[in-house]
Amino acid sequence: MDSHRQRWTVASLTVPTWLMLLAMFAVPLGSGVYLSTRSDKIGSFVPGVGVGLDNYRRDVMSGVFVEAIVTTLIITFVGLLIQFPIGFGLAAILHRNLRGTQLFRTALLVPMLLTPVAVGLMWRFMLDTDLGVINWLLDSVGLSRIGWLGEPWAARMSIVLVDSWQSTPFVMLMALAGLAGLPESPLEAARVDGASPVRAFVHVILPMLRPVVYVTLLIRLIDGLKLFDVIFILTRGAPGRATQTVGLLTYNTGFNFLETGRAAALGIAVTLLTLPVYVLWLRAQRAAQVVG
Amino acid sequence: MKRRGGIVASYGVLVIAVVVALFPVFWTVSTSIKTRVDSFANPPRFFRFEPTGKNYRILFGKEQFWQIARNTVVITVTSTILAVAIGSLTAYALARHPRFGGRRPLEAAMVLVRTLPGIVVMVPLFQVVTRLGLYDSRFIIILVYAAANLPFAIWLMTGFIGQIPIEVEECARTDGANRVRTFLHVVLPLALPGVAATMIFVALLSWNEFLIPVLLAGEGSKTLPVYIAGFISARTLDWGPMAAASALAIVPIAVFTALIQRRLVAGLSSGAVKG
Repeated sequence: MDSHRQRWTVASLTVPTWLMLLAMFAVPLGSGVYLSTRSDKIGSFVPGVGVGLDNYRRDVMSGVFVEAIVTTLIITFVGLLIQFPIGFGLAAILHRNLRGTQLFRTALLVPMLLTPVAVGLMWRFMLDTDLGVINWLLDSVGLSRIGWLGEPWAARMSIVLVDSWQSTPFVMLMALAGLAGLPESPLEAARVDGASPVRAFVHVILPMLRPVVYVTLLIRLIDGLKLFDVIFILTRGAPGRATQTVGLLTYNTGFNFLETGRAAALGIAVTLLTLPVYVLWLRAQRAAQVVG
Repeated sequence: MKRRGGIVASYGVLVIAVVVALFPVFWTVSTSIKTRVDSFANPPRFFRFEPTGKNYRILFGKEQFWQIARNTVVITVTSTILAVAIGSLTAYALARHPRFGGRRPLEAAMVLVRTLPGIVVMVPLFQVVTRLGLYDSRFIIILVYAAANLPFAIWLMTGFIGQIPIEVEECARTDGANRVRTFLHVVLPLALPGVAATMIFVALLSWNEFLIPVLLAGEGSKTLPVYIAGFISARTLDWGPMAAASALAIVPIAVFTALIQRRLVAGLSSGAVKG
């Protein structure tokens, strides 16, 4: 009986958190669902009217939205292909604990802490076709200049590059945490058997790191789908719609074309798209709690 | 012999990685102290240029800049205190009590908030806020920041409180201290380093936040990231003052990083969940 009362006393500690989350997330999401069925526009003198599922039919079931999904997935997955090998590779080297490791580790973590907007601007300057230091570098080693932010594929890869620059440290950090928690003995055994360090890493350590890889993958997947600031600064979706991800499309619809109702419908669709990753993450978190 | 080769290769890779990681920072700072001519020079001038303070003087000469700096600091500090205060209570419940009313829905809500793309919430939130006549209100912006960073604060604090041995608390309880006194006089002092680290991490996220203020802040409550982004839409791209503003956003982060260097790794990786 007492423990039942205690459970609710403890629960009362979470009341402020609940209020905050309800006011700032549940209310907007609820009104988002409502807005998504209306024709509201920002700054319009004509009040919005209910339009049923028209916004979904027009915007969600459209080629532009599908295109945005594809762009989002391309940017996310190419990014993973860069961030994981480099992040885990660097972690493996740092894990050897050579002299000066702490200094290297801190320096390598810096990019993930910096203001994304400032990061985007720095890179925009560096990627400038005529004045940028990157094209100068290409020039001086005899390669041709690239119109980084002006051509569709170059622009997509520029975003992948900048996001990877900022996110690889996070992957490295997770890998380091994973490595620190591994038992030594299987590795010793591999060494005794004469496996090279690289082979030992691939065949012995990586399989043991599976849980870390999985969680890191989920987080990077979510953050890839959420990526906004850097794209906003670098291209704002241009050239054409080449870098218009679902987030940018929602933003542009809502705040460039001022179509609040249609943007809300896109937002709800994006929420539904992220739901599978949400479920996987929640499951992973619950599993981790049972173990740990 | 083979092993020494491995060590040299390792250092080689690390040095290249550090150069790649830090070059953009170096380039921003150096552009911020270059004249227009030097910043556009071809080939680029890495070290051989006459440093100038002109870009910073232009920035500091603007009344608007000081207001933006003030807004950024006030919003960052207040929302951080709010998020960590509210978050600590919940973290205490999560760390100390495996079962309490609403625990599982709470965990689910926290993960959901973390996975939702910000823009999805911001479209309707913008509508609600403007309808209520609260556009450009620092108060609302602070609340939204705090809510957005709340799950992150809770995750971090749960980890830190979990590290405090529960025996300390039980001791205090058997000595006759009640729940509130135990929390205030025993748990809180022990959790203080964790609270400080959490505050720094949350402050970092608030400091860097862009989407919330770009949509909810007008001229009165604009923050530094919004100001920096504003340089792009200007007709001529003026890289000098822009680099100076970017450098000013980044330098406090470098200082804080140095301050918490020891806790950096533990904090960041338990904050797998960074918002």
